[in-house]
Amino acid sequence: MTTGALIFAHNNDHIDYVAMARWSAQNIQRHLGIPTHIVTDTVTDDSNSRWFGDYNVNMAWYNQSRVTAYDASPWDCTLVLDADYVVASDQLQTIMDADQDFLCFRRAYDVTSVNDFVGHNTFGDVRMPMWWATVMWFNRSRHSQLIFEAMTMIRNNWTHYRRIYKINQATYRNDHALSIALCLLQGHTLTVPAIPWSMASVMPEHRLTQTDLDSYRVEFEDPMQRSRWIELHDQDFHAMGKQQLGDIVANPC
Amino acid sequence: MDTNQLVAHARARFEHEAARRVLREKYQAKFTFAHAGGMWLAGPELLTLLKLCSGTVVVQDLYENPVKIQAEELYELAVQRWQECLNAWLIEYEQSNQQR
Repeated sequence: MTTGALIFAHNNDHIDYVAMARWSAQNIQRHLGIPTHIVTDTVTDDSNSRWFGDYNVNMAWYNQSRVTAYDASPWDCTLVLDADYVVASDQLQTIMDADQDFLCFRRAYDVTSVNDFVGHNTFGDVRMPMWWATVMWFNRSRHSQLIFEAMTMIRNNWTHYRRIYKINQATYRNDHALSIALCLLQGHTLTVPAIPWSMASVMPEHRLTQTDLDSYRVEFEDPMQRSRWIELHDQDFHAMGKQQLGDIVANPC
Repeated sequence: MDTNQLVAHARARFEHEAARRVLREKYQAKFTFAHAGGMWLAGPELLTLLKLCSGTVVVQDLYENPVKIQAEELYELAVQRWQECLNAWLIEYEQSNQQR
């Protein structure tokens, strides 16, 4: 049985996602011992765009091909990662050993504790629980296939599902499509198996630097506007600020 | 890095509460392990349960699935994982307490 990682990386005018994916592939090989397949076809559909706070600009966001992960993956068991998810430990090995068809994160948190992530862990006016598409683990089961087929259906009918779940933002997000798909397939019981710990996140407004091979420093201002910092060591995290991660990838330790 | 950035860097203080929370979350992940097709959280609850059992038994894993396990074998794995992680956590915790 083959096991590997899959990263979707579609560059836009500002962000070199392919470079991030290449750098991440090295980390994945070092910590998890599996190869990485990078999907980086040329994308012509730029209808999706979003605000990137660290760049202070609205730019194209080529995120719609994630639903093809089941078909695009060459592996029997696949670990799908965002290009900006930093693998700095072997944490994900645990889910690779789990006997589950599909797993992803249910909760994320801000490593600085400055931001309350309640709003990030739910979506829409009805506050539906959100399952994050940042990290997805799946095998070749019918259940996994149905999840991606449902995500495709939701993406293709995004306006319809946006209205049902009362999502104000027009921008399509894989997190929303995944959450809706999982709820649909579980009969809206909200009993979806998830990765049994929370996803560490570094916000774009916080300064991220690499201090050693698997050590990162996060500088931020606390609610009293005082300068503070913490260090992440041997800890995977989602780097939501692409600019700073881009700088690290360009000049790694 | 200009002068203002250098001053800000020097004045920055280590945020102990946030660091402790990150450590708690980090070790929550490390306490988790897979065995016999189930997912387990090494900790007092699992260890106490396993101490009550012997031989081949069926217990619920983290996903509330029934899994057939050897109680002694899973106990050994869980207690080893628990102590290794707690020791590593303690070292990191003490290091973070020394940060300015």
